[in-house]
Order: sequence, then C-alpha cells, then structure tokens
Amino acid sequence: MWFEDVPLGEKTILGSYTFTEENIIAFARKYDPQPFHIDRQAAARSIYGGLIASGWHTAAVWMKLMIAYRYGRVAAGEERTQANYVSPGVRDMRWLKPVKPGMTLTYTNETFAKRDWPTLPQFGLLEGKNEARDQEGTLVYSFINRVLIARRPAGSP
Amino acid sequence: MTDLLHFEDFAAGQVYALGTHVLTADEIVEFAQQFDPQPQHLDPAAAKDLLGGLAASGWHLCALAMRMIVDGLFGRAASLGAPGVEDVQWRKPVRAGDRLSLDAEVLETRPSSRAGRGYVRFRFSMRRANEGGNAERVMMFVSTAMFALRKGNA
Repeated sequence: MWFEDVPLGEKTILGSYTFTEENIIAFARKYDPQPFHIDRQAAARSIYGGLIASGWHTAAVWMKLMIAYRYGRVAAGEERTQANYVSPGVRDMRWLKPVKPGMTLTYTNETFAKRDWPTLPQFGLLEGKNEARDQEGTLVYSFINRVLIARRPAGSP
Repeated sequence: MTDLLHFEDFAAGQVYALGTHVLTADEIVEFAQQFDPQPQHLDPAAAKDLLGGLAASGWHLCALAMRMIVDGLFGRAASLGAPGVEDVQWRKPVRAGDRLSLDAEVLETRPSSRAGRGYVRFRFSMRRANEGGNAERVMMFVSTAMFALRKGNA
C-alpha cells in the first residue's frame, strides 16, 4: 500500500489483546516497575484497588496489533506492497480507564489527514485517530499517530 | 516512608538527571520481537536502506525512558500514575551502543480537584552522548503525572 492508497475516514479494526496478570507484570518488571503494576498486594492498597497495566504496555500493544494487521493483509494478498513505516512521533495519548487483568481491548485506527513531508518528498505523512475499547465498548485509551509512508513511485501500479 | 517525594516537593524549573543507559542490539531486537517486529528493528541488513542500520523502536525508547523515570525519580516519590502524554517526538534513530541519558524538567504543578493528590507536568528528554562531549536530543515527551500530597496524607 502506498500513501496514495490509504483511505481517509475509514475505521479499521486492528485486532484485540487480552491483558493478564502475567503479561502485565512481565512488561512492568522490565519497563515500569511501579508497585501498582508489579505487586498484587501493594496494588490492592493503591488508589487503583488492584493491579493495572503500564500505560506504555497498552501503547506498545497497539504497535504489535498494527504490524500484525498490516503484514496479515500482505500475506493474504489484500495489499500488494509491504510498506515500511517511520514515525516522527505521536500525540495526545490518553489513558482514560485503568487496564486490569482479564480485560480484552480492541484497537482501531482511522486516518483523518494526509500531509506532505517536504524534507522527505518521497514520503507522505498520515495522521490517524486510534482507540482501544474494552469488552463493554468503553473507551480505555486513545491517541493520535503520525507516520510516514512511501508515495507510489512513478510507473508503479 | 516519609522521605518519599510528594506533590509539594515539585516546582516548575526543577531538572532531575535520571541516569544513563547503553542500549544493546539484543535489547532492541527483544522489544521489537514482542511489540514492533519491523525489519528496521530486527535485522541490521534489512534496516540499512530505511534508517541506515538497526534502530530501536520508538515505543522501546518510551518504555526505556519509563524505566529510567521509575529508577531515577518515581521510585522515590509518591507516584500515583499518569493520565496521559501530550507529545512524543522521535527525533533521531537510536542504535545499539548508543549511550543514552534521560532528564526530567518540571514544567508546571497544579493541585487536583480530587483530594490528596496533585499533577506535575514534565518534559522528559532522552539524549545521546556524542564524541565531542555534546549531547543531542533523540527523543522527548511531555507527560503529566499524579503524586500524593504530603499534607493530610499521614
């Protein structure tokens, strides 16, 4: 998929991920070892009343699901090219509801803007609205992603 | 635990140095295999044309920064978590062998409408040491974190 092929205003379901006590603690021990992320007893005494996932864990899972979705499309023949993505950054990350063991989040992405990127004219910038919702449909996490994707080379179909 | 940093201990303009970390290729690949399995984060050969060689996932840099924040600051503070991050900038590719330092600048503090806590807004900057002794900023984000108040929190 080239920059030109990305549809605007179309919501895509990227996939779902179930947070467990095991994967919450494993991530947090490595990257965010605060008591309410790694220690069940301490978490029970915290303002959260129990273990919650690191916000960066919730964020990294989006990337995991996005890549699995994109590579899956190519493997299934639904996209012809395997785009590489480079991102200058993201914004407005909001952790709206604590993520607890047993919660399954479904992540979506919707491109809302396509912009030129003058320093790398062979690329264009996509901006997308991203959401993760729990089983009840409640919004748990949202952010805006920004990613550079190659434009269709001249002569390419 | 009275020596923990509380909301009242933070003030705009403070800068905390949060240590250094030398990133390894194994760390880059391990994170990427789990969360960001793109060639530029997994395979030095495939990574050549895109970012000029193996480079860490931006999300890995955020997670690494969080670890340095906990080890260097939040671990000795009455941290209550964070509602979000305003602005993450991945400014330069970060590679194996890079010596990374992190600092936290307090931008503002404000009390919460909920009793017993307050908000501290930080700019976290990850910098890479260069041979000349200079440091270039490779990544930054602005984030608001919650801390317990010291008073009324006995």
